[in-house]
Amino acid sequence: MSTGMIIVIVLLVLAGFIVMTYNSLIALIEAVRNNQKQIDIQLDRRYKVFESLINVVKKYMDYEQTTLKDVVALRNTAQQAKANGDQQGRIDAENKISTIASNLNVVFEQYPDLKANQNCIQLQEEIVSTENKLAYAKQSYNDSIEHYNATKKSFFTAMIVGVFKGKLDFDYPYWQLSQDKVAEQENYTVKL
Amino acid sequence: MTQPLDNFAQTAADWRKTLRTNNRKTCFVIAVFFLIYFAIGMLVDVYINAGHYPQATLSQIFMGLITFQLFPLVTLIMLCVAAISLLITFSACDKIMLLGTEYHEITPTTAQNVAEQQLYNVVEEMKIAAGLQFMPRVFIIEADYMNAFASGYSEKSAMVAITRGLMQKLNRSELQAVMAHELSHIRHLDIKLTLMASVLANLIVIVLDMFFYTAVFSNRSSDDRSRNGLLTIIIILRYVLPIINILLLLYLSRTREYMADAGSVELMRDNQPLASALLKISDDHQQNQDQYSADYRNTPHENVRREAYIFDPVQAGIEPVASLSDAFSTHPNIKDRLAALGFKSNGK
Repeated sequence: MSTGMIIVIVLLVLAGFIVMTYNSLIALIEAVRNNQKQIDIQLDRRYKVFESLINVVKKYMDYEQTTLKDVVALRNTAQQAKANGDQQGRIDAENKISTIASNLNVVFEQYPDLKANQNCIQLQEEIVSTENKLAYAKQSYNDSIEHYNATKKSFFTAMIVGVFKGKLDFDYPYWQLSQDKVAEQENYTVKL
Repeated sequence: MTQPLDNFAQTAADWRKTLRTNNRKTCFVIAVFFLIYFAIGMLVDVYINAGHYPQATLSQIFMGLITFQLFPLVTLIMLCVAAISLLITFSACDKIMLLGTEYHEITPTTAQNVAEQQLYNVVEEMKIAAGLQFMPRVFIIEADYMNAFASGYSEKSAMVAITRGLMQKLNRSELQAVMAHELSHIRHLDIKLTLMASVLANLIVIVLDMFFYTAVFSNRSSDDRSRNGLLTIIIILRYVLPIINILLLLYLSRTREYMADAGSVELMRDNQPLASALLKISDDHQQNQDQYSADYRNTPHENVRREAYIFDPVQAGIEPVASLSDAFSTHPNIKDRLAALGFKSNGK
């Protein structure tokens, strides 16, 4: 085999490697984006589910009208923060909605008759599942970021990313709580 | 109240590491299968060409085949047959998994009570955690024994099935762990992988058998030594390879079980629910051994699901089907699985 042939083969292999790496990174980036939107989908779902849940709950007890208003207000804050690109404001608002959700569960505990009610068991299951789905959506988002970052920063791939910086190099922040919030949550204990 | 995991010390287990090591093992097994397949094809080709060119040595013929100076007809035909049979198997596999059971599908609208709604919810939650692009269909099998399995790998064929007994005896998080295990089988493409391996294994045996009978009973009195040497190899292979095949398949199956367990922890970020679910299932099988073996035996086509189950009934001394492979287990020992999950037994 001539030297020319060998050079051509090496170049072909190299080109193939670059194309494959490029494509797999694009797939990873789109996965991160999709998972990011999955959080939005779950937040949206939670809002709608809770709104209808609260409406149902109101039939069973004289639950303050304000809860619904609070959720709506917080929801608007969250959406506004999202529109302004204020990630922190949005996280805060969504976390407050979570608190309302856990309060709802506490209310159920206070009414034994209500607790035994089939409908309310169903509601509780729905609340648990909704919160779980949101948490898992966040987890999945962070997982896809981990996967993307690990691939992006690994050897050889990093060199290709260096060449196509505009297309392949993005910095996605992990979904996380602020330092203050973490400290607050850490000190939280159940008061019985 | 005693908890199922009271006798175990909990340690941190690295599910990332479990996934990595078992992934390596899978690559190894699949590579060995393809190598065997290729080697058998080459063997036949060498044998045929040795008849055409009696004066050439075996290594010369082999080199000729590798460099395409001689056409490796049998090897190529075998590759084509493998590709076609794999395609057919993949397209038909989702139809055979529920054979013989009494089952019904669960959807958000058809759920009859909170328990069924809960089952659908936990599967959906795990689907979100896994980032799956499609929602697998959820089936309940009307049976008392505790078991579950998954099948398929794409939008059309993905499904998880769970027995009524399992659904009733596990709590929400344990149920979720079991479903995460099953979804992990789907996202790891285990069904495709084990199907591929078993199709290859069967083809190897078929080709070897055909070749064995043609070689042994062909009346061409070839006195040349090289061909007779090859004949000996073929005869030995015919009896050894099926055993190697089974051992490899079982090793693969056990490896994938460990990976699905690790995948369950990956999705839930908690190893306790799966561990206690596994213990409950295992204990339950032990306690109701007689009843369950009758149940399993009365369910037709139990063998098609055996590898896919989360818990292998054979381990509890229940034998749904009698075959050679029952001597070995498709699933790792329950103690080993718990150890891999990070639960070390405190000894008895």
